[in-house]
Amino acid sequence: MSYTELTVWTRGIIMDKEGRDIVNSIAASARLEGKFAQAMENYVDNPDRTNAPTRKYCRISDSEIENALTYENEAPNILVLVEQTMVKGWDYLRGMPPGGTLVINTHYPPEYMMRFVPGPERLAQLVCVDAAKLADHKWLYYRLGELGLDRLSTEGAAERSKAIAPDIAAPLIAAVVKTTGIVKIATIEPMIANKAAFHAALEQIHVLPLNPVAA
Amino acid sequence: MSTKGTHIPDWLAVPFAGITPAPTQQKGQDLFPTGNWRAIRPVYRDKMPPCNNACGTNEKIQGYLDLVKRGKYLDAYALIKEDMPFPSVTGRVCYHPCEQACNRGKYDEAISIRAVERFLGDLGQALPRDVVKAGEPNGKKVAVVGSGPAGHSAAYQLARLGYEVTILEKSPRAGGLNRGGIPDWVLPQDVLDREIERLVELGVTIKTNTEVGKDVSWDDLKKNYDACVLAVGLTDPNSARAEGEDKAGVLFGLPFLRDIGMGTSKVKLGARVAVIGGGNTAIDCAREALRQGAEEVTMITVEGNASEMPAVPEDLHDMLEEGVELMHGLAMTAVLGNGKVEALQLQPARFTGPVNASPIAIDREAPAARFAADNVIIAVGQHASLAWLPEQFKNERGTIKIDRFGRLGDTMFFAAGDIVQLGSGQPLMVVNAVGDGKRVAYSLDKIVRGEPLQERMVPLDVITDLSRMNMTYFPKFARVQQEMLAPVSRKKTQDEVIQAYSEEQAIEEANRCFSCGTCNACDNCYLVCPEPCIVRSVRSNGLYKILVDYCKGCRVCIEECPTGCLEGVPELDFDTGVVRMDTAFAISQGLHGRQKEELENLSERPPKDIDNWT
Repeated sequence: MSYTELTVWTRGIIMDKEGRDIVNSIAASARLEGKFAQAMENYVDNPDRTNAPTRKYCRISDSEIENALTYENEAPNILVLVEQTMVKGWDYLRGMPPGGTLVINTHYPPEYMMRFVPGPERLAQLVCVDAAKLADHKWLYYRLGELGLDRLSTEGAAERSKAIAPDIAAPLIAAVVKTTGIVKIATIEPMIANKAAFHAALEQIHVLPLNPVAA
Repeated sequence: MSTKGTHIPDWLAVPFAGITPAPTQQKGQDLFPTGNWRAIRPVYRDKMPPCNNACGTNEKIQGYLDLVKRGKYLDAYALIKEDMPFPSVTGRVCYHPCEQACNRGKYDEAISIRAVERFLGDLGQALPRDVVKAGEPNGKKVAVVGSGPAGHSAAYQLARLGYEVTILEKSPRAGGLNRGGIPDWVLPQDVLDREIERLVELGVTIKTNTEVGKDVSWDDLKKNYDACVLAVGLTDPNSARAEGEDKAGVLFGLPFLRDIGMGTSKVKLGARVAVIGGGNTAIDCAREALRQGAEEVTMITVEGNASEMPAVPEDLHDMLEEGVELMHGLAMTAVLGNGKVEALQLQPARFTGPVNASPIAIDREAPAARFAADNVIIAVGQHASLAWLPEQFKNERGTIKIDRFGRLGDTMFFAAGDIVQLGSGQPLMVVNAVGDGKRVAYSLDKIVRGEPLQERMVPLDVITDLSRMNMTYFPKFARVQQEMLAPVSRKKTQDEVIQAYSEEQAIEEANRCFSCGTCNACDNCYLVCPEPCIVRSVRSNGLYKILVDYCKGCRVCIEECPTGCLEGVPELDFDTGVVRMDTAFAISQGLHGRQKEELENLSERPPKDIDNWT
């Protein structure tokens, strides 16, 4: 009987939709595959502030999920950091059981990012994908140094598109799906708006294998 | 229920409802350590201002202008003296490459750096004692040959490093080119005398009338001193390669100025004087000729127009104001006259390649013009006189062969100034010679102490340009002009032409400095930070601090830094400096963490044991 928790850490307003797209699309694909799934936003973190760290949650199970009232994943198996600097400031691995996966959107190699990960012994793999580059993100985040902080939102009034994963979420979804097999690539692929970035990411992820758990 | 007069227990002093402390309070910053919101960290990093980089001796120009702004003249003078032994001299004579490089020049008008330097130099001259002290004696003896700018600078720096320095000067008075190449109306003799006195006060011995090769031999230098710096300069004037240069009335530029400077001149100029050459020496000769009694002075150059002349534009302008005529595109091919100059034969000429860096082609087929003159002053450059130097140390340019640290082979001889810079692409100017003397003195010191030598390297990308700065903070201000004597009155006297700044003028001019790339304690970051993330105790460079646990990385300070000193560094470049938290609103972390234990046990305690429970 398998039960998997996925937690996405993202930044308030400027990449809020990216986080939401990841949990929504994965939960929807799981349902299409006949599993039980939940996906939810988090309002504890007060996400309506630029740059504030916020979390999005997803649960997938073969049997019905009885926990319908807790809005937080206590023991995430898979973690996604939508912005690379988050690796430094938050205890995101809290509660993770051994054999977890950490996916980071970064242009650094996983060997460099390892120095910031708290408690890496719980990880089975560390996955780095340069999602901002693969999605050819124009306004953006990893080019802060050139542009100054861009306040364009992907959410609310300035939300440009109702499509799912039109931007940096697509490569991150590809990284999660390919490295964990949480849902099938064939199921989720039709939902993704930015198919080019999705397919490019399938080829261009950097995986650092760590401590596998004996099956 | 009134809480008036009730006692609040320590562990409830910072409750999370009701009276949350503001972030302006230290406790408020502890409560929400928002430093981990940040992707970019602001860092204060001083960069090289273009003026400092352009200066031949790398004076800390931005530094002393900043001190002048604040009225700290003595500190400014001490700072300038680190690199420049005689600011009162260069404050008058320097060709100011700093002002050409000044970023303000691309905005309105360059800072008049030279005038401020002169103000500081004159201030230093008025001091009863100099601020610079000789170093702790290290028992080593060094000879410096030549007391011109390079020799003076090397001797000065070596004395500060603790060497026993002897200067050997062949002329009857010390000063070299500063005395012999620069006229009195640019640099009064008493200013130079005072600077040389300062050098003697540092413990430097100056032996005049001592010529290397005649009074002192190469072997004497080797035997009697631990090391030797050769700063002999270029002493012999170049010939214009015209017929009849040996006729009476033909003068050469540098000896003409030198004799006047040394007070040994017996020259009487006629009414009409021609000057051959278009450089700075030629300009000085032309202007000096007016002061020596010439009525009409004409400058004859090969360059096709005035803008091609290798001269400082201000000096050229001042010369024209005094009434000197210019003739371009001509070379002198013969001096005509019966034993004495009566006229010159001029023929069209041009450079065969780049101006001033290629041979001259004279069109000898063209009809020669006759130009009547009583005297001709030939100022077409100088070359070295190195008969006394062992052959293996000479190079094909006719100068001394050195390695890139100014050393002659593996001997303890070093060379600096024009004698090594001729033909190297460096301008042959006072400030370049001073810088060369300084660097050679440091190299010499390192070799004596057995330390590894280092070249001076400035990575180009750290030289600040306007695009790195926030120009909205700088209103346009006109440059403060130095007063000058009127052309009519000045051209017959030896009075100094350019007048000094007053204190108010110096401050006003220094105030125009942008402080490119360097923190000048303007307090702007401290004021614009939307949170109280920037702290400072005293308003001074190096004393601003970012509270990294609280700064959210909004970049406002970086974007608003007027000078471009603040820069954003990716947070992941730092291994440390952020409080790691569980979640954004972490009730068990930050300041709340101190209440955690009490709060967890609260439900197990009977109400009567809890303070203020009613």
